[in-house]
Amino acid sequence: MSKEEIFERLNKVFRDVFDDESITVTENTTSSDIEDWDSLEHINLIVAVENEFKIKFNMGEVTTMKNVGEMANIIESRIK
Amino acid sequence: MSLTGLTFVIFCITTLIIYFIFPKKYKWVVLFISSLIFLFYKNLNINTLLQALIILLTSYIFGRLIEKNKDNKLGKRYLIIGIFIIIALLCYLKYTNLFITTINSISSLLNIKIKLNLVERNALIGISYYSLIMISYLVDIYWGKTESEKNIFKLALFMSYFPILTSGPFINYSEIKEDLYTHHKFDTKRISSGLIRILWGLFKILVISLRISTLVNTVYNNPNQFVGFFNILASLFFVIELYTNFSGSIDIIMGVSEIIGINLPENFASPFFSKSITELWRRWHITLGTWLKNYVFYPLQKSRAMQWINTKSRNILGKKRGKKVAMYLSMLIMWVLIGAWHNGAYTFIIGSGILQFIYIFLEDTLTPISKKINEKLGINTECFSYKLYQMIRTYCLFSLSMVFFRSATVKDAIIFIKNMFVFNEIYVIKEGIYNLGLDLLDLKLLFISILVLFIVDYIKTKGNIREKLFNQNLPFRWLIIFTLIFSIAIFGCYGIGFDPATFIYGQF
Repeated sequence: MSKEEIFERLNKVFRDVFDDESITVTENTTSSDIEDWDSLEHINLIVAVENEFKIKFNMGEVTTMKNVGEMANIIESRIK
Repeated sequence: MSLTGLTFVIFCITTLIIYFIFPKKYKWVVLFISSLIFLFYKNLNINTLLQALIILLTSYIFGRLIEKNKDNKLGKRYLIIGIFIIIALLCYLKYTNLFITTINSISSLLNIKIKLNLVERNALIGISYYSLIMISYLVDIYWGKTESEKNIFKLALFMSYFPILTSGPFINYSEIKEDLYTHHKFDTKRISSGLIRILWGLFKILVISLRISTLVNTVYNNPNQFVGFFNILASLFFVIELYTNFSGSIDIIMGVSEIIGINLPENFASPFFSKSITELWRRWHITLGTWLKNYVFYPLQKSRAMQWINTKSRNILGKKRGKKVAMYLSMLIMWVLIGAWHNGAYTFIIGSGILQFIYIFLEDTLTPISKKINEKLGINTECFSYKLYQMIRTYCLFSLSMVFFRSATVKDAIIFIKNMFVFNEIYVIKEGIYNLGLDLLDLKLLFISILVLFIVDYIKTKGNIREKLFNQNLPFRWLIIFTLIFSIAIFGCYGIGFDPATFIYGQF
Protein backbone atom coordinates (compact mmCIF):
# COMPACT_ATOMS: atom_id res chain seq x y z
CA MET A 1 0.00 0.00 0.00
CA SER A 2 1.39 3.40 -0.95
CA LYS A 3 1.77 6.31 1.49
CA GLU A 4 -0.94 8.21 -0.43
CA GLU A 5 -3.38 5.37 0.08
CA ILE A 6 -2.50 5.19 3.79
CA PHE A 7 -3.14 8.93 4.20
CA GLU A 8 -6.37 8.68 2.21
CA ARG A 9 -7.64 5.98 4.55
CA LEU A 10 -6.34 7.87 7.60
CA ASN A 11 -8.33 10.92 6.49
CA LYS A 12 -11.46 8.78 6.42
CA VAL A 13 -10.79 7.49 9.97
CA PHE A 14 -9.98 10.94 11.38
CA ARG A 15 -13.11 12.47 9.80
CA ASP A 16 -15.23 9.67 11.22
CA VAL A 17 -13.74 9.73 14.77
CA PHE A 18 -13.78 13.51 15.16
CA ASP A 19 -16.99 13.98 13.21
CA ASP A 20 -15.47 16.66 11.00
CA GLU A 21 -15.47 16.30 7.21
CA SER A 22 -13.02 19.17 6.76
CA ILE A 23 -10.07 17.30 8.34
CA THR A 24 -7.14 16.49 6.05
CA VAL A 25 -4.11 15.01 7.77
CA THR A 26 -0.49 15.30 6.63
CA GLU A 27 2.84 13.90 7.87
CA ASN A 28 3.17 16.81 10.29
CA THR A 29 -0.35 16.89 11.72
CA THR A 30 -0.29 16.65 15.52
CA SER A 31 -2.96 16.58 18.22
CA SER A 32 -2.69 20.36 18.58
CA ASP A 33 -3.91 20.80 14.97
CA ILE A 34 -7.21 19.01 15.57
CA GLU A 35 -9.46 20.55 18.20
CA ASP A 36 -11.01 17.35 19.56
CA TRP A 37 -7.85 15.23 19.49
CA ASP A 38 -7.01 15.24 23.19
CA SER A 39 -5.88 12.51 25.58
CA LEU A 40 -9.51 11.48 26.15
CA GLU A 41 -10.08 10.77 22.43
CA HIS A 42 -6.58 9.45 21.64
CA ILE A 43 -7.37 5.77 22.26
CA ASN A 44 -10.67 5.97 20.33
CA LEU A 45 -8.63 7.21 17.37
CA ILE A 46 -5.94 4.54 17.82
CA VAL A 47 -8.51 1.73 17.95
CA ALA A 48 -10.31 3.11 14.87
CA VAL A 49 -7.00 3.21 12.95
CA GLU A 50 -6.22 -0.35 14.09
CA ASN A 51 -9.60 -1.55 12.85
CA GLU A 52 -9.22 0.23 9.50
CA PHE A 53 -5.80 -1.26 8.73
CA LYS A 54 -6.29 -4.56 10.63
CA ILE A 55 -3.08 -4.00 12.62
CA LYS A 56 -2.20 -3.55 16.30
CA PHE A 57 -0.10 -0.77 17.78
CA ASN A 58 1.82 -1.68 20.92
CA MET A 59 1.40 0.56 23.94
CA GLY A 60 4.91 1.96 23.61
CA GLU A 61 3.96 3.27 20.16
CA VAL A 62 0.62 4.57 21.40
CA THR A 63 2.30 6.71 24.06
CA THR A 64 5.19 8.02 21.95
CA MET A 65 3.67 8.74 18.50
CA LYS A 66 4.38 12.42 17.89
CA ASN A 67 2.53 13.08 14.65
CA VAL A 68 0.46 11.43 11.94
CA GLY A 69 3.65 10.84 9.90
CA GLU A 70 4.98 8.51 12.62
CA MET A 71 1.61 6.77 12.73
CA ALA A 72 1.70 6.25 8.95
CA ASN A 73 5.26 4.87 9.13
CA ILE A 74 4.22 2.28 11.72
CA ILE A 75 1.19 1.33 9.60
CA GLU A 76 3.39 1.00 6.51
CA SER A 77 5.86 -1.25 8.32
CA ARG A 78 3.08 -3.48 9.68
CA ILE A 79 1.15 -4.09 6.48
CA LYS A 80 4.18 -4.88 4.31
CA MET B 1 15.58 17.37 55.28
CA SER B 2 13.55 20.51 54.73
CA LEU B 3 14.10 22.24 51.39
CA THR B 4 14.15 25.64 53.08
CA GLY B 5 16.42 24.58 55.96
CA LEU B 6 20.10 25.29 56.52
CA THR B 7 20.97 21.56 56.47
CA PHE B 8 19.69 21.33 52.90
CA VAL B 9 21.73 24.36 51.86
CA ILE B 10 24.91 22.88 53.36
CA PHE B 11 24.09 19.49 51.85
CA CYS B 12 23.62 20.99 48.36
CA ILE B 13 26.73 23.17 48.47
CA THR B 14 28.88 20.22 49.63
CA THR B 15 27.43 17.94 46.95
CA LEU B 16 27.96 20.54 44.22
CA ILE B 17 31.57 21.31 45.21
CA ILE B 18 32.48 17.60 45.29
CA TYR B 19 30.53 17.00 42.05
CA PHE B 20 32.38 19.67 40.10
CA ILE B 21 35.88 18.75 41.35
CA PHE B 22 35.46 14.98 40.92
CA PRO B 23 36.83 13.26 37.78
CA LYS B 24 34.39 13.11 34.85
CA LYS B 25 33.93 9.37 34.98
CA TYR B 26 32.78 9.27 38.61
CA LYS B 27 30.59 12.34 38.85
CA TRP B 28 27.48 10.18 38.92
CA VAL B 29 28.93 8.33 41.93
CA VAL B 30 28.91 11.64 43.85
CA LEU B 31 25.22 12.06 43.06
CA PHE B 32 24.59 8.44 44.05
CA ILE B 33 26.26 8.82 47.46
CA SER B 34 24.55 12.18 48.11
CA SER B 35 21.21 10.64 47.22
CA LEU B 36 21.80 7.77 49.65
CA ILE B 37 22.60 10.26 52.42
CA PHE B 38 19.45 12.26 51.60
CA LEU B 39 17.31 9.12 51.39
CA PHE B 40 18.34 7.74 54.77
CA TYR B 41 18.92 11.08 56.55
CA LYS B 42 17.85 10.57 60.19
CA ASN B 43 15.89 7.49 59.11
CA LEU B 44 18.36 4.66 58.62
CA ASN B 45 17.19 1.36 60.07
CA ILE B 46 16.52 -2.23 58.97
CA ASN B 47 12.94 -1.31 58.06
CA THR B 48 13.75 1.57 55.69
CA LEU B 49 16.79 -0.21 54.26
CA LEU B 50 14.59 -3.18 53.42
CA GLN B 51 11.99 -0.96 51.72
CA ALA B 52 14.61 0.61 49.45
CA LEU B 53 16.25 -2.74 48.70
CA ILE B 54 12.95 -4.43 47.83
CA ILE B 55 12.06 -1.77 45.26
CA LEU B 56 15.59 -1.56 43.84
CA LEU B 57 16.16 -5.32 43.56
CA THR B 58 12.66 -5.93 42.16
CA SER B 59 13.22 -3.27 39.48
CA TYR B 60 16.71 -4.49 38.67
CA ILE B 61 16.01 -8.22 38.51
CA PHE B 62 12.60 -8.00 36.83
CA GLY B 63 13.81 -5.30 34.43
CA ARG B 64 16.51 -7.70 33.19
CA LEU B 65 14.10 -10.66 33.06
CA ILE B 66 11.43 -8.66 31.17
CA GLU B 67 14.01 -7.56 28.60
CA LYS B 68 15.18 -11.13 28.00
CA ASN B 69 11.62 -12.45 27.66
CA LYS B 70 9.94 -9.47 25.98
CA ASP B 71 8.83 -11.50 22.99
CA ASN B 72 7.38 -14.47 24.85
CA LYS B 73 4.65 -14.94 27.44
CA LEU B 74 7.11 -14.96 30.34
CA GLY B 75 7.85 -11.25 29.78
CA LYS B 76 4.31 -10.25 30.65
CA ARG B 77 4.35 -12.51 33.72
CA TYR B 78 7.56 -10.98 34.99
CA LEU B 79 6.11 -7.51 34.41
CA ILE B 80 3.00 -8.35 36.42
CA ILE B 81 5.02 -9.88 39.29
CA GLY B 82 7.40 -6.88 39.37
CA ILE B 83 4.57 -4.34 39.45
CA PHE B 84 2.71 -6.43 42.04
CA ILE B 85 5.65 -6.47 44.46
CA ILE B 86 6.14 -2.68 44.23
CA ILE B 87 2.41 -1.93 44.60
CA ALA B 88 2.04 -4.41 47.48
CA LEU B 89 4.84 -2.67 49.38
CA LEU B 90 3.37 0.78 48.65
CA CYS B 91 -0.10 -0.34 49.79
CA TYR B 92 1.33 -1.88 52.96
CA LEU B 93 3.12 1.35 53.81
CA LYS B 94 0.53 3.89 52.72
CA TYR B 95 -2.90 2.33 52.54
CA THR B 96 -3.21 0.08 55.61
CA ASN B 97 -5.02 2.88 57.45
CA LEU B 98 -7.42 3.47 54.54
CA PHE B 99 -8.30 -0.23 54.74
CA ILE B 100 -8.73 -0.03 58.53
CA THR B 101 -11.00 3.08 58.39
CA THR B 102 -13.11 1.42 55.68
CA ILE B 103 -13.55 -1.74 57.80
CA ASN B 104 -14.41 0.40 60.86
CA SER B 105 -16.96 2.50 58.94
CA ILE B 106 -18.65 -0.55 57.42
CA SER B 107 -18.77 -2.37 60.76
CA SER B 108 -20.25 0.66 62.54
CA LEU B 109 -22.86 1.00 59.77
CA LEU B 110 -23.79 -2.64 60.22
CA ASN B 111 -23.69 -2.31 64.02
CA ILE B 112 -20.89 -4.83 64.34
CA LYS B 113 -18.60 -4.15 67.25
CA ILE B 114 -15.21 -4.24 65.55
CA LYS B 115 -12.85 -1.36 65.98
CA LEU B 116 -9.40 -1.77 64.51
CA ASN B 117 -6.72 0.64 65.64
CA LEU B 118 -4.86 2.76 63.12
CA VAL B 119 -1.24 1.81 62.57
CA GLU B 120 1.84 3.91 62.06
CA ARG B 121 4.21 2.92 59.27
CA ASN B 122 7.68 4.31 58.89
CA ALA B 123 7.77 4.79 55.11
CA LEU B 124 10.97 5.95 53.47
CA ILE B 125 11.00 9.48 52.07
CA GLY B 126 9.83 9.72 48.46
CA ILE B 127 8.39 6.21 48.32
CA SER B 128 5.23 7.39 46.48
CA TYR B 129 7.47 8.90 43.82
CA TYR B 130 10.00 6.22 43.13
CA SER B 131 7.45 3.39 43.37
CA LEU B 132 5.65 4.86 40.36
CA ILE B 133 8.92 5.82 38.66
CA MET B 134 10.14 2.23 38.92
CA ILE B 135 6.82 0.82 37.70
CA SER B 136 7.12 2.98 34.57
CA TYR B 137 10.73 1.77 34.20
CA LEU B 138 9.55 -1.86 34.08
CA VAL B 139 6.64 -1.07 31.74
CA ASP B 140 8.87 0.91 29.36
CA ILE B 141 11.24 -2.07 29.08
CA TYR B 142 8.27 -4.32 28.30
CA TRP B 143 6.96 -1.86 25.70
CA GLY B 144 10.41 -1.64 24.12
CA LYS B 145 10.73 2.08 24.87
CA THR B 146 13.98 1.64 26.76
CA GLU B 147 16.67 -0.88 27.63
CA SER B 148 17.20 -2.16 31.14
CA GLU B 149 20.04 -0.69 33.23
CA LYS B 150 22.86 -3.17 33.70
CA ASN B 151 24.63 -1.35 36.51
CA ILE B 152 22.57 -1.71 39.71
CA PHE B 153 24.21 1.35 41.29
CA LYS B 154 23.22 3.51 38.32
CA LEU B 155 19.68 2.21 38.63
CA ALA B 156 19.81 3.06 42.34
CA LEU B 157 20.78 6.63 41.44
CA PHE B 158 17.85 6.88 39.01
CA MET B 159 15.54 5.65 41.77
CA SER B 160 16.84 7.90 44.51
CA TYR B 161 18.14 11.04 42.72
CA PHE B 162 17.95 13.35 45.74
CA PRO B 163 16.27 16.48 44.29
CA ILE B 164 13.11 14.57 43.40
CA LEU B 165 12.69 12.68 46.69
CA THR B 166 10.61 15.28 48.53
CA SER B 167 8.07 16.50 45.96
CA GLY B 168 8.89 14.95 42.58
CA PRO B 169 8.57 15.68 39.67
CA PHE B 170 8.13 12.22 38.15
CA ILE B 171 11.03 11.37 35.89
CA ASN B 172 11.24 8.85 33.08
CA TYR B 173 14.27 6.60 32.70
CA SER B 174 14.54 6.86 28.91
CA GLU B 175 14.33 10.65 29.06
CA ILE B 176 16.75 11.30 31.92
CA LYS B 177 19.39 8.54 31.76
CA GLU B 178 21.83 10.41 29.52
CA ASP B 179 21.68 13.55 31.64
CA LEU B 180 21.94 11.58 34.86
CA TYR B 181 25.05 9.52 34.10
CA THR B 182 27.11 11.85 31.92
CA HIS B 183 29.33 14.51 33.43
CA HIS B 184 28.27 18.15 33.48
CA LYS B 185 30.74 20.99 33.37
CA PHE B 186 30.69 24.01 35.63
CA ASP B 187 28.63 26.55 33.67
CA THR B 188 28.10 30.00 35.20
CA LYS B 189 25.03 30.89 33.13
CA ARG B 190 23.33 27.62 34.04
CA ILE B 191 24.26 28.07 37.71
CA SER B 192 22.92 31.64 37.90
CA SER B 193 19.75 30.53 36.12
CA GLY B 194 19.32 27.70 38.67
CA LEU B 195 19.98 30.08 41.57
CA ILE B 196 17.31 32.51 40.37
CA ARG B 197 14.85 29.65 40.19
CA ILE B 198 15.77 28.61 43.76
CA LEU B 199 15.26 32.21 44.95
CA TRP B 200 11.83 32.34 43.32
CA GLY B 201 10.94 29.05 45.01
CA LEU B 202 12.05 30.43 48.38
CA PHE B 203 9.99 33.58 47.80
CA LYS B 204 6.90 31.50 47.07
CA ILE B 205 7.35 29.35 50.20
CA LEU B 206 8.73 31.80 52.75
CA VAL B 207 6.97 35.01 51.76
CA ILE B 208 3.61 33.73 50.46
CA SER B 209 2.91 30.14 51.48
CA LEU B 210 3.93 30.31 55.14
CA ARG B 211 2.22 33.69 55.63
CA ILE B 212 -1.01 32.57 53.99
CA SER B 213 -0.95 29.31 55.97
CA THR B 214 -1.39 31.30 59.22
CA LEU B 215 -4.66 32.72 57.90
CA VAL B 216 -5.88 29.42 56.45
CA ASN B 217 -5.00 27.45 59.59
CA THR B 218 -6.75 29.97 61.86
CA VAL B 219 -10.03 29.57 59.97
CA TYR B 220 -9.80 25.79 59.52
CA ASN B 221 -8.81 25.16 63.14
CA ASN B 222 -11.60 27.29 64.62
CA PRO B 223 -14.81 26.13 62.93
CA ASN B 224 -16.93 27.54 65.78
CA GLN B 225 -15.47 31.01 65.42
CA PHE B 226 -15.40 31.46 61.65
CA VAL B 227 -18.20 31.00 59.14
CA GLY B 228 -19.44 32.53 55.86
CA PHE B 229 -17.04 35.01 54.28
CA PHE B 230 -14.07 33.66 56.28
CA ASN B 231 -14.63 30.10 55.08
CA ILE B 232 -14.83 31.31 51.49
CA LEU B 233 -11.67 33.36 51.97
CA ALA B 234 -9.79 30.46 53.57
CA SER B 235 -10.80 28.04 50.82
CA LEU B 236 -9.72 30.50 48.09
CA PHE B 237 -6.45 31.19 49.90
CA PHE B 238 -5.69 27.55 50.62
CA VAL B 239 -5.27 26.90 46.89
CA ILE B 240 -2.66 29.67 46.74
CA GLU B 241 -0.97 28.24 49.84
CA LEU B 242 -0.88 24.80 48.25
CA TYR B 243 0.34 26.12 44.90
CA THR B 244 3.09 28.32 46.32
CA ASN B 245 4.22 25.59 48.68
CA PHE B 246 4.24 22.81 46.11
CA SER B 247 5.46 24.73 43.07
CA GLY B 248 7.94 26.62 45.28
CA SER B 249 9.45 23.28 46.36
CA ILE B 250 9.55 22.22 42.71
CA ASP B 251 11.35 25.48 41.82
CA ILE B 252 14.02 24.76 44.47
CA ILE B 253 14.35 21.15 43.31
CA MET B 254 14.60 22.09 39.64
CA GLY B 255 16.99 24.92 40.39
CA VAL B 256 19.34 22.58 42.29
CA SER B 257 19.13 20.02 39.49
CA GLU B 258 19.73 22.71 36.87
CA ILE B 259 22.91 23.77 38.70
CA ILE B 260 24.12 20.15 38.56
CA GLY B 261 23.23 20.13 34.85
CA ILE B 262 20.28 17.75 34.91
CA ASN B 263 17.06 19.19 33.50
CA LEU B 264 13.92 17.85 35.13
CA PRO B 265 10.47 17.94 33.48
CA GLU B 266 8.24 20.91 34.36
CA ASN B 267 5.47 20.19 36.87
CA PHE B 268 3.49 23.46 36.73
CA ALA B 269 2.56 25.84 33.94
CA SER B 270 0.74 28.85 35.42
CA PRO B 271 -2.32 26.80 36.47
CA PHE B 272 -4.40 29.78 37.62
CA PHE B 273 -4.70 30.94 34.02
CA SER B 274 -6.71 27.82 33.13
CA LYS B 275 -10.14 28.35 31.62
CA SER B 276 -11.45 24.94 32.65
CA ILE B 277 -10.66 22.20 35.17
CA THR B 278 -9.57 20.00 32.25
CA GLU B 279 -7.00 22.64 31.31
CA LEU B 280 -6.01 23.17 34.94
CA TRP B 281 -4.94 19.54 35.24
CA ARG B 282 -2.76 19.98 32.16
CA ARG B 283 -0.99 22.77 34.05
CA TRP B 284 -0.99 21.42 37.64
CA HIS B 285 1.19 18.49 38.76
CA ILE B 286 1.85 17.81 35.07
CA THR B 287 4.23 14.88 35.52
CA LEU B 288 1.75 12.93 37.67
CA GLY B 289 -0.93 13.51 35.02
CA THR B 290 1.41 12.33 32.25
CA TRP B 291 2.39 9.27 34.26
CA LEU B 292 -1.22 8.28 34.89
CA LYS B 293 -2.23 8.98 31.29
CA ASN B 294 0.54 6.78 29.87
CA TYR B 295 0.57 3.97 32.41
CA VAL B 296 -3.05 3.79 33.63
CA PHE B 297 -5.52 5.63 31.41
CA TYR B 298 -4.31 4.56 27.94
CA PRO B 299 -3.63 0.88 28.80
CA LEU B 300 -6.96 0.68 30.64
CA GLN B 301 -8.92 2.28 27.80
CA LYS B 302 -7.23 0.02 25.27
CA SER B 303 -7.74 -3.14 27.37
CA ARG B 304 -9.98 -5.90 26.06
CA ALA B 305 -12.54 -5.32 28.83
CA MET B 306 -12.90 -1.60 27.98
CA GLN B 307 -13.03 -2.33 24.26
CA TRP B 308 -15.82 -4.83 24.93
CA ILE B 309 -17.71 -2.17 26.92
CA ASN B 310 -17.03 0.27 24.09
CA THR B 311 -18.56 -2.01 21.45
CA LYS B 312 -21.62 -2.78 23.59
CA SER B 313 -22.26 0.83 24.54
CA ARG B 314 -21.93 1.98 20.92
CA ASN B 315 -24.55 -0.60 19.93
CA ILE B 316 -26.93 0.62 22.61
CA LEU B 317 -26.28 4.39 22.73
CA GLY B 318 -25.06 5.04 19.22
CA LYS B 319 -21.57 5.93 17.99
CA LYS B 320 -21.21 9.40 19.48
CA ARG B 321 -22.49 8.77 23.00
CA GLY B 322 -21.45 5.13 23.14
CA LYS B 323 -17.74 5.84 22.76
CA LYS B 324 -17.85 8.02 25.89
CA VAL B 325 -18.84 5.19 28.27
CA ALA B 326 -15.49 3.34 28.34
CA MET B 327 -13.70 6.69 28.31
CA TYR B 328 -15.51 7.99 31.40
CA LEU B 329 -15.12 4.67 33.18
CA SER B 330 -11.33 4.64 32.60
CA MET B 331 -11.24 8.28 33.66
CA LEU B 332 -13.09 7.58 36.91
CA ILE B 333 -10.65 4.79 37.80
CA MET B 334 -7.73 7.10 36.99
CA TRP B 335 -9.08 9.93 39.16
CA VAL B 336 -9.72 7.65 42.14
CA LEU B 337 -6.09 6.53 41.80
CA ILE B 338 -4.87 10.15 41.61
CA GLY B 339 -6.78 10.89 44.83
CA ALA B 340 -5.47 7.75 46.51
CA TRP B 341 -1.90 8.47 45.42
CA HIS B 342 -1.97 11.82 47.25
CA ASN B 343 -2.75 10.07 50.49
CA GLY B 344 -4.60 6.97 51.60
CA ALA B 345 -7.55 8.90 53.06
CA TYR B 346 -11.07 9.54 51.77
CA THR B 347 -10.63 13.32 51.94
CA PHE B 348 -7.99 13.03 49.20
CA ILE B 349 -9.85 10.42 47.17
CA ILE B 350 -12.85 12.79 47.08
CA GLY B 351 -11.04 16.15 46.87
CA SER B 352 -8.27 15.46 44.40
CA GLY B 353 -9.98 12.47 42.81
CA ILE B 354 -13.71 11.98 42.42
CA LEU B 355 -14.66 15.68 42.47
CA GLN B 356 -12.14 16.42 39.72
CA PHE B 357 -13.67 13.59 37.68
CA ILE B 358 -17.15 15.07 38.18
CA TYR B 359 -15.93 18.51 37.08
CA ILE B 360 -14.27 17.16 33.93
CA PHE B 361 -17.25 14.93 33.17
CA LEU B 362 -19.61 17.91 33.47
CA GLU B 363 -17.32 20.11 31.38
CA ASP B 364 -17.17 17.48 28.64
CA THR B 365 -20.92 16.87 28.56
CA LEU B 366 -22.06 20.48 29.05
CA THR B 367 -19.67 22.19 26.61
CA PRO B 368 -21.81 21.52 23.49
CA ILE B 369 -24.90 22.86 25.34
CA SER B 370 -23.15 26.00 26.60
CA LYS B 371 -21.73 26.57 23.09
CA LYS B 372 -25.28 26.58 21.68
CA ILE B 373 -26.55 28.89 24.44
CA ASN B 374 -23.65 31.32 23.88
CA GLU B 375 -24.30 31.34 20.13
CA LYS B 376 -28.03 32.01 20.62
CA LEU B 377 -27.42 34.81 23.10
CA GLY B 378 -24.63 36.24 20.97
CA ILE B 379 -22.05 36.03 23.77
CA ASN B 380 -18.49 36.69 22.64
CA THR B 381 -16.42 33.89 24.16
CA GLU B 382 -13.13 35.18 22.74
CA CYS B 383 -13.03 38.50 24.59
CA PHE B 384 -10.92 39.15 27.71
CA SER B 385 -13.87 39.50 30.11
CA TYR B 386 -15.31 36.10 29.15
CA LYS B 387 -11.92 34.41 29.50
CA LEU B 388 -11.46 36.10 32.90
CA TYR B 389 -14.89 34.79 33.96
CA GLN B 390 -13.81 31.27 32.90
CA MET B 391 -10.57 31.56 34.89
CA ILE B 392 -12.34 32.79 38.03
CA ARG B 393 -14.97 30.04 37.71
CA THR B 394 -12.23 27.39 37.36
CA TYR B 395 -10.37 28.80 40.36
CA CYS B 396 -13.50 28.79 42.54
CA LEU B 397 -14.47 25.24 41.56
CA PHE B 398 -10.95 24.02 42.27
CA SER B 399 -10.91 25.82 45.64
CA LEU B 400 -14.17 24.15 46.59
CA SER B 401 -12.78 20.67 45.87
CA MET B 402 -9.60 21.47 47.79
CA VAL B 403 -11.67 21.97 50.99
CA PHE B 404 -11.68 18.16 51.15
CA PHE B 405 -7.93 18.09 50.56
CA ARG B 406 -7.37 20.45 53.50
CA SER B 407 -9.93 19.03 55.96
CA ALA B 408 -9.11 16.32 58.47
CA THR B 409 -12.23 14.28 57.70
CA VAL B 410 -14.95 14.19 55.04
CA LYS B 411 -17.46 15.27 57.69
CA ASP B 412 -15.34 18.33 58.58
CA ALA B 413 -15.17 19.28 54.90
CA ILE B 414 -18.94 19.08 54.46
CA ILE B 415 -19.53 21.21 57.58
CA PHE B 416 -16.93 23.71 56.32
CA ILE B 417 -18.69 24.00 52.94
CA LYS B 418 -22.12 24.30 54.58
CA ASN B 419 -20.77 27.12 56.77
CA MET B 420 -19.67 29.02 53.66
CA PHE B 421 -23.31 29.86 53.08
CA VAL B 422 -23.79 31.59 56.42
CA PHE B 423 -24.21 35.36 55.99
CA ASN B 424 -21.85 37.65 57.92
CA GLU B 425 -22.72 41.23 58.87
CA ILE B 426 -20.26 43.77 57.43
CA TYR B 427 -18.95 44.75 60.90
CA VAL B 428 -18.20 41.08 61.68
CA ILE B 429 -16.08 40.88 58.55
CA LYS B 430 -14.32 44.16 59.34
CA GLU B 431 -13.44 43.04 62.86
CA GLY B 432 -12.79 39.39 62.03
CA ILE B 433 -10.28 40.10 59.28
CA TYR B 434 -7.74 41.15 61.94
CA ASN B 435 -8.34 38.02 64.00
CA LEU B 436 -6.96 35.71 61.33
CA GLY B 437 -3.45 35.72 62.77
CA LEU B 438 -2.11 38.42 60.43
CA ASP B 439 -1.92 42.15 61.07
CA LEU B 440 -2.61 44.89 58.50
CA LEU B 441 1.02 45.00 57.35
CA ASP B 442 1.00 41.24 56.77
CA LEU B 443 -2.24 41.44 54.84
CA LYS B 444 -0.87 44.22 52.63
CA LEU B 445 2.33 42.25 52.09
CA LEU B 446 0.33 39.17 51.22
CA PHE B 447 -1.73 41.09 48.70
CA ILE B 448 1.36 42.55 46.99
CA SER B 449 3.26 39.24 46.92
CA ILE B 450 0.26 37.39 45.45
CA LEU B 451 0.02 40.11 42.80
CA VAL B 452 3.72 39.58 41.99
CA LEU B 453 3.06 35.83 41.78
CA PHE B 454 0.23 36.33 39.28
CA ILE B 455 2.27 38.78 37.18
CA VAL B 456 5.24 36.38 37.05
CA ASP B 457 2.95 33.46 36.17
CA TYR B 458 1.34 35.56 33.45
CA ILE B 459 4.76 36.44 31.94
CA LYS B 460 5.56 32.71 32.04
CA THR B 461 2.59 31.99 29.78
CA LYS B 462 4.32 34.17 27.17
CA GLY B 463 7.69 32.37 27.31
CA ASN B 464 10.73 31.58 29.45
CA ILE B 465 10.86 34.30 32.10
CA ARG B 466 14.50 33.72 33.07
CA GLU B 467 15.57 33.98 29.42
CA LYS B 468 13.70 37.29 29.30
CA LEU B 469 15.53 38.40 32.46
CA PHE B 470 18.93 37.42 31.03
CA ASN B 471 18.18 39.53 27.95
CA GLN B 472 17.87 42.65 30.11
CA ASN B 473 20.79 44.96 30.86
CA LEU B 474 22.97 44.22 33.87
CA PRO B 475 21.63 46.92 36.28
CA PHE B 476 18.01 45.88 35.78
CA ARG B 477 18.90 42.18 36.13
CA TRP B 478 20.65 42.78 39.43
CA LEU B 479 17.86 45.05 40.64
CA ILE B 480 15.38 42.20 40.19
CA ILE B 481 17.71 39.64 41.82
CA PHE B 482 18.51 41.87 44.81
CA THR B 483 14.84 42.74 45.28
CA LEU B 484 14.09 39.03 45.39
CA ILE B 485 16.88 38.31 47.87
CA PHE B 486 15.93 41.18 50.18
CA SER B 487 12.21 40.32 49.98
CA ILE B 488 12.98 36.78 51.12
CA ALA B 489 15.33 37.95 53.86
CA ILE B 490 13.09 40.71 55.17
CA PHE B 491 9.56 39.52 54.47
CA GLY B 492 10.09 35.77 54.74
CA CYS B 493 8.44 33.85 57.58
CA TYR B 494 11.03 31.99 59.61
CA GLY B 495 11.04 29.66 62.59
CA ILE B 496 9.07 26.61 63.57
CA GLY B 497 5.35 27.19 63.70
CA PHE B 498 5.83 30.68 62.29
CA ASP B 499 4.65 33.35 64.63
CA PRO B 500 4.03 36.70 62.88
CA ALA B 501 5.33 38.50 65.98
CA THR B 502 8.77 37.10 65.32
CA PHE B 503 9.05 38.33 61.73
CA ILE B 504 12.46 39.55 60.82
CA TYR B 505 10.89 42.70 59.42
CA GLY B 506 9.28 43.27 62.81
CA GLN B 507 12.68 44.44 64.05
CA PHE B 508 12.98 47.22 61.49
